[in-house]
Amino acid sequence: MEGLVIWLIVTFVKILVILGIVLGVGAYLTLVERKVAAHIQRRPGPMVVGWHGLLQPLADGLKLLTKEDLFPRYGNRFLYNLALVLALVPATLVFAVIPFGPEFEVFGVKVKPILTDVNIGLLLVFALGSMAVFAIALAGWASNSKYALIGSMRKAGIVISYEVVITFAAMGPLILAGTLSTYHIVQSQIEQGLWYVWLQPIAFVVYMFAMLAETGRVPFDIQEAEAELVTGFTVEYGGMKFGLFPLVEWYIEVLSLSAIAVVLFLGGWSPINIPFLGFVDPLFFLGPLSPFIWFILKVSLLFLFVLWLHWTLPRYRIDQITETAWKVMLPLTLLNILLTAILAPILWR
Amino acid sequence: MIQWLVFLLFSALAVLSALGVVLLPNPIYVILALLSVLVSVAGIFFVAGAELVGALQLIIYAVAVTVFYVFVLTAVPWEKALKKDSHYRVEGLLSFPLVLLLYLEMLFVFLIGVSVSPKGQFREFIVKFGNTEVVGGILFSKYFLAFELVSLLLLIGMIGAVIIGRKEAQTYDNNTP
Repeated sequence: MEGLVIWLIVTFVKILVILGIVLGVGAYLTLVERKVAAHIQRRPGPMVVGWHGLLQPLADGLKLLTKEDLFPRYGNRFLYNLALVLALVPATLVFAVIPFGPEFEVFGVKVKPILTDVNIGLLLVFALGSMAVFAIALAGWASNSKYALIGSMRKAGIVISYEVVITFAAMGPLILAGTLSTYHIVQSQIEQGLWYVWLQPIAFVVYMFAMLAETGRVPFDIQEAEAELVTGFTVEYGGMKFGLFPLVEWYIEVLSLSAIAVVLFLGGWSPINIPFLGFVDPLFFLGPLSPFIWFILKVSLLFLFVLWLHWTLPRYRIDQITETAWKVMLPLTLLNILLTAILAPILWR
Repeated sequence: MIQWLVFLLFSALAVLSALGVVLLPNPIYVILALLSVLVSVAGIFFVAGAELVGALQLIIYAVAVTVFYVFVLTAVPWEKALKKDSHYRVEGLLSFPLVLLLYLEMLFVFLIGVSVSPKGQFREFIVKFGNTEVVGGILFSKYFLAFELVSLLLLIGMIGAVIIGRKEAQTYDNNTP
């Protein structure tokens, strides 16, 4: 009974920490994005609210919350609001299977910094990732607007094709690690002394493409397409309801998919890797904190990479996007699985 | 104890949403109720400790299958979606005894299966190797022929879909002046 109580308390704390980090960081990433975008375009970005615009997210949040709540005539109010929930919940649930660091001990209780270490963690990631389609399709349909419907159809098409690609791209590291649990994938990378990106460069590139497509980042932001579709499926939403969709798509999903990329390809919380030789840790002086710092560092580097692409590249057409998915990316991932099947027995030996 | 509570929650949700699938008039609500049924069945699988089956239920049924219903229905204008006279009430009443018979047969087969199946033999394997490995082992040893036949069937289905979906070269000739 006492074990159960401790387990409940630990789980509750974990949930609070994860939700706090995800939603708080998600809000502040808007500022990061605006600053990075501004500096890429040689502007200072937000400077007025707080020191170098540090309080800008709060001001934006207040503005969005105090706006009038508009609703399109002849829309379906129930589905219109349900789409918001369906967008937010799966995106935050993904963080339940992301391992933030190695197991540690607090007050004699062993804590794994992962909410549930289920042995099918990766399958859950992809299942929840695909659930985003329902939110998008419902948002487009319930708004009763042709721009919203076109935007949601485009986005749903992209998500379906790239969800297949991203699942196949993750197969390579899965074969090498021999498990579906995210925690054990990182463990086996540390034991084998190898980041899987060295053996899986094709899968990594394909994964990055699919990640950009799923999160609606440039060059795949065709569902948004300000110039032709206003803002796609969010066009009829106003105030904080409008703010929620970009928050989920551009920040929470990018964060979770970057974290999964770090887990699959970049060795999770392990320090810099020299293939087959071992790990070099320039942050050794941080002691037990260094794995967490490494994890955060890698995720933020991937996030900045995504931002860099977003503010540099032009946009693809919809037919080009889906054609790349089915005719280029999918065969590449299948080829990669074949190569991995040949390589894997050498690694396991 | 907790397991029972969660199981009751998910099964009640599944039954309620299954009623919704049959009774709701708006097709979009029907699809959402179907989604809710599938997700709660996945929840029941998770409670029972069959994580792999639960995850596959989520990926294949709750996402891949239901998405295509949503795709079709979002192309339906909303005035048509609100039509209420499309339910075959008399036919439903007439076919009710047959449905009942089918359910009784399913129950019967299920009970026979429970009485025949080996008790507790797989438990230690599952604890030792984990869900995915046990399913893979059984699939690639005992049921290998069935597995290969099913994959052949899927391949045939895929080829059929490609043939139906390709463009006809003659139809799209650009011979307009």
